[in-house]
This record gives sequence, C-alpha cells and structure tokens, in this order.
Amino acid sequence: MFEKIMDNYKVLIIVPFIIALLSLSLIAINGFDYGIDLRGGSQADFELIGSATTADVENALKTNLHASDIKVMNSDNKKVTIETDTSASALEFTNALDGKAKLVTYNTIGPVLSDEAMDQIYIAMIFAFIFMAVTVFVVFREFVPSIGVILAALFDIIIAVGGMSLFHIPLSIASVGALLMLIGYSVDTDILLTTRLLKRKEGTVIERAKAAMKTGLTMSIAAIVAMAILYIVTILFMPKATTLSNISAVLIIGLCGDIITTWLMNLGILRWYIERKQAKKQEKYLNLNDNSKESKKDKDKESKDLKESKKDKKSKKKNKNKKKKSSKKGKKKKGGN
Amino acid sequence: MSRATKQFFRDKRVILLIVLLLISIISISVIGIEQGLDLKGGSSLQLQLDHPVDKATMDIVTSVLDKRLNLYGVTDVKVRSSGNQMVIVEMAGKSPQEVEKLIGNPGKFEAKIDNQTVLTGVDVANVKSPEVDSQGGWHVPFELTTEGAKNFAAAAKGKGGHEVVMYLDGKEIDKDHPTLSEELASGEPVTEIEVTGGAEDQAAAKEEANAVYTVLKTGSLPVKLKVIGSNTVSPELGQQFALGALIAGFLAILGISAVVFLRYRRAVLAVPILLTTFSEIIIILGVASLIHWNMDLAAIAGLIASVGTGVDDQIIITDEVLNHDSESTRHRRTRTQMNVKNALFIIFASAGTLIAAMLPLAYVGFARGSSGIGTIAGFAFTTIIGVLIGVFITRPVYAKFIELFIS
Repeated sequence: MFEKIMDNYKVLIIVPFIIALLSLSLIAINGFDYGIDLRGGSQADFELIGSATTADVENALKTNLHASDIKVMNSDNKKVTIETDTSASALEFTNALDGKAKLVTYNTIGPVLSDEAMDQIYIAMIFAFIFMAVTVFVVFREFVPSIGVILAALFDIIIAVGGMSLFHIPLSIASVGALLMLIGYSVDTDILLTTRLLKRKEGTVIERAKAAMKTGLTMSIAAIVAMAILYIVTILFMPKATTLSNISAVLIIGLCGDIITTWLMNLGILRWYIERKQAKKQEKYLNLNDNSKESKKDKDKESKDLKESKKDKKSKKKNKNKKKKSSKKGKKKKGGN
Repeated sequence: MSRATKQFFRDKRVILLIVLLLISIISISVIGIEQGLDLKGGSSLQLQLDHPVDKATMDIVTSVLDKRLNLYGVTDVKVRSSGNQMVIVEMAGKSPQEVEKLIGNPGKFEAKIDNQTVLTGVDVANVKSPEVDSQGGWHVPFELTTEGAKNFAAAAKGKGGHEVVMYLDGKEIDKDHPTLSEELASGEPVTEIEVTGGAEDQAAAKEEANAVYTVLKTGSLPVKLKVIGSNTVSPELGQQFALGALIAGFLAILGISAVVFLRYRRAVLAVPILLTTFSEIIIILGVASLIHWNMDLAAIAGLIASVGTGVDDQIIITDEVLNHDSESTRHRRTRTQMNVKNALFIIFASAGTLIAAMLPLAYVGFARGSSGIGTIAGFAFTTIIGVLIGVFITRPVYAKFIELFIS
C-alpha cells in the first residue's frame, strides 16, 4: 500500500484535487443548509398540554404567527422540538401557542442578528485563513512547501463543507468553529510532514515520509476516534446539544479528508519539490565541475547540501554522487538525442 | 530509574506544572467554575436599539436596563453592550417571556406626595448628569415638559417640606425620601427642577445621585428597544448538557488511550498521555475559574480542541524519540534530547498556526460580546488558552518524561 503510494505520487496528487472539485460541485448543486443562527428563525422545545397534538400546535402557530415552514425536528411523546423560519419574540410565541403547549426552551434569531453573524463568519474565516497562511510562511520560509500546507488546509475545508452539504449538516456558528478547528488539525499533520521531509537528514526521503505517515495517521485516527465518541454520545444522550454534534460531525469528515490531502497531495508536492531541488543542485554541481576544477572542499559542501543520509561515511557519499552524476549525464544525453 | 525520577522532579518545568496544578485545583474548589447559560440554564436576549448611539448613551441604556431588572428582583443579570446598536441581557433562572415583559415595558415612573401622584415618567423631558460636591451633597437636575410642569405646580402647591416618594412601576425606589423645597410649592410652573440630597461622603453621594438619575431615566429610555433574538435553556437541559459533555470527554480520552495503546503496544505510554491530558484540562479549568471565564458548550468544544491537539503533540514527541532509539546506541541521551527539540519545533509551529487561525474569532467575540459569532468566541478563547498552556507547560513535561523514562 505504502509502496504503491510512494511510486505513483505524481499521479496521486490529482486525487485530492478531484475530490475537492467534486466537493465544490456538490456544494454548488446541492447547496447547504443554514442553521437558524445564520438564516434567522426560531427553534422551540415545548411540552404538549392535555390532549393537544403536534398538529394542533402547528396549526396554532400557522394561524397566529403566520409561521411558514414549520419543521418538526424531534418528537418524543409530549416533548416536541420544532424549527421555523419565522422569528417571533418568546412572548409572541407563547401567546401563539394558545395554551396548547408549554414552552421549555426557545431560541429565536431575527434577521438583523443572522445577517450580522453571517458577515462575522466571513470575516473570521478569511482572516483565520490569512493569519494561518502567514504563520506557515514564517515557519517554513520556502514557497512551495508553504503553499502545500496552505492548499491542504484549504482542501480540507472544502471537503468538510462538501460533506456538510452531502449529509445536511447545517452551516451554523458551531460548524464554523469546527472548520477553524479543522485548520488546526490539518496544519498539524502537514507541518509534521514538511518538517520531517525538509528539515531532517536521517534516512532517505521515503523512509522519512513513511515514519511521518505513521505518526500522522496515529494523530488523525486518535482525533477521529475522539470525535466519533463525542458525536455518538451527543446523539444518544443530548440530541439537543447540536453545538457539539455539529462540531464533531464536521471534524470527522474534515479529518478523513485531511488524511487524503496530506498523504496523497502534500507528500506528493513535497517529494516533487525535493527532487527538483536536488536536480538543480546536481546541475549546479556539474556545471562547477565542467567549468573549473574546483577544490575538493567545495565538492564536499555541495554533497552535504544534498539531503542524503548523514550517517554515510564520506567515501560512500562520494560514490553515490558519482553514481548520480553518471546517471544524470546519461539522462542528459538521452534528452539531447 | 530512581535517578531518572529524581531528575524528573528536579526539572523546572515539572515543578512549574505541579505548582500550577495545585493552584488550579485550589482555585476550582474555592472559586468554582462559572457555568455558561447553556449549562446552568437561563436566558439571553438580544436587543436592538432604534439607531446607533455613542458610548455615553449606550452606558445609560445598559445601566437603566440593569437597574430596572434589579428592581424587579431579577438577580444574576448581566447587561452588556455589543457594538453601538445592540444590547445583550443574560440571566439565569428566568424565562425569556418574563424578561421580555420587563424589558419591553417602558417602565412607569411616578413621584407621589402625600400618596398623590405629582409626576410621572411622561412628564420628564430630559435628565441631566448628576452633580456631586466634595461634602457629599448631590443634585440631579432634570427638565419637565410644559404640560408636566403645569400639573406638577398645581399638585405640589403648598406642600413644601413634604416627603416625595418615587416609584417605578408601583415599586418604591428609595427608602430615604427627599423633601419638596419651598420654592417648588409656590404654584408657579417651573420646567427645570432637581432632586437633591446629602450623603456621608462623596462616594456615597455619587452612588445615591446615580440611583436617582437612573430611575428618572428609566422612565424614559433614550432610545427605543426591540427584541431581535432570544434563547433559553432550561436548567434541566443544561444539566443534561453538562453531564453529557463530561461523559463524552471521559470516553473520548479513553478512546484516544486505546488508539495509543494499539499503536505502540506499550501500556506504559498511555499513563503519561492520560496524565498530561488530565493536567491540561485541570489547568485550563483553573485559569477559567481564576478569570471568571464562563464555561459553556462552546468553551467545552474549545477545551476538547486544545486537548485534541495536545494528544497530537504527544504522539509527535513519542515518535520522534522512539523512532530514533534504535539508530544509535552511543550518545543516546544527547540524541534523545535533540529529537525532543525537533519535536518541539513541530509543536510550536502548529500551535502558532492554530492560535493565528483562532485569533480573528476571539477578536470578533471580544469586540461584539455574545451576539452573532460572539457566541463561539468562548471556543476560540479557550482553544488559545489551552494551546498556550499545552505548548509551554504540559507538553514539555511530557517530553521530559519520555526522554527520561521511555527511551
């Protein structure tokens, strides 16, 4: 499995792109639900009084509040949860219930509030992303690896939002929190991978990648398990705590997406980047050799820069370089012909 | 082993962690943790003013609302502004219907002399800022409407020196009744009058004057208010949330331990990971208790997020150290230390990005209070605090532990 991934890394970079594109088109076609905190409306829990039925209450609300689009979310014997796009004050709502039910909890978001929340969400998301990107650039100070990390985070968010669209998880203030949390988790694995590949010297690139993958997958699986437990417990014991169930559901989808983006895309980008860097160095080294007989010292310096195993003795290194040199030359010839 | 133990407990960071843990436990048990409305039950109302106002007017609005709710015996009420056009009222143990009645009500102000109404809220045209002198004397000047001045002059005629009792919605405001001055009892209509009084010192005078001022203002809020949003969580549901979150948190930690055990096949490793996670939670809660931070569902989610990244970090540290264990037998300790340093680089880098991503959300929350996205600012803030505690205090200790005992 791992070997296959490593061999075909250039092709596999496309996979996350395709998934992200699918996700985007799903969002475009399917759209996504907005929670009442973003679209405005009311959510009410009430207990039915006497022989009143849910239908009675619905009718009462329809006539008294002109409420449209009443959705019964949850109904357990006498306890009923409904959602409606109409935002009325709790007082109006109680009056509209007409003694048929007792209001237990009531949330209402007027259009002013929901519009404001929507604006704030855009601002928070955009700035969160910018701040994250700047920090990544400051940490790595190299263009391609930084872009890899940022792109992976972007794709994770797109995949998570696509999942929300697919599973009808409403976009709400809570799920935006989850998306921000996802940025954190996503960047965790990507920074781990980038650091291991670029800043470490021991072992080959593939060995380092394998070790990083082992660590990264453990991290992702631990997080997915924790979130799955949170989700299950929330659904079973407190279905009304939608803050928690939304956050955990979004994170589960996003973390699964992160496994794909990190190990198929970011790893691919990084390997491609490292190979190009090495090739460039080789070329420089060759040029140096061709143009003038440089001292041995310089050669050693060059070969140290090649991210090869530090453990190897100097002689080994030289041999390797010679090998590479010859193969490179061979390739060049081929290209020339 | 015992040498390693000694070395472990001599490490500065370990000592710091233990001290902070103790402080946190003491703080949690003495001060306690403030639960958010969604955990202890309660209501919050979002009110919108007719038009944006400056800070001074906003202060009047919030203090008037606060005073009014207190007068009605609503305790544990928090009134705060959000931006320049919104006010948020939060209170425990009241239904939103009751609160709306209180706030929607204009508040009827009455002043009576000899049990006869001489002045009502509609007669008050304008209230000026209270003035206090250094001897403890104070006065609150206010203006009456022309109509009000006429009525007042007629009603107060010949009652100089009588007690004036002020009421808000039929409730007596102050037990110390001011008396009517002689000049106001002449029968001539005056539009500019004032309530005066004296107190022991300047501070007390200021308090008294402010109380009268607020009451006069209460009858006439400077701007109209409209309820634009409300939410309530019943105390039972809140308790269910709190219990559920506890169970979920506990099981999640168990789940993480299981994953760690399956991966490393070493039961020993689960112990420091569990300990680190629990101490992170305790210190975060300790900080929350010290700064009176409200723990609500969003904050709990933040707690979970920071603990989650904590586990990530612990896995990184463990792998950095264990992976290279076999590589060299010589200089093992120095190598381990280097690996820990490497791990800490990754940890600080990812902590930095997470904090950077959370900052805008926390900022919006602080700027706007709990309206709109502010409701999950607690999430961002708790995550930031948790991550800071993690990278500076608990995770280095975990690294030290792994360095000394596991490798």
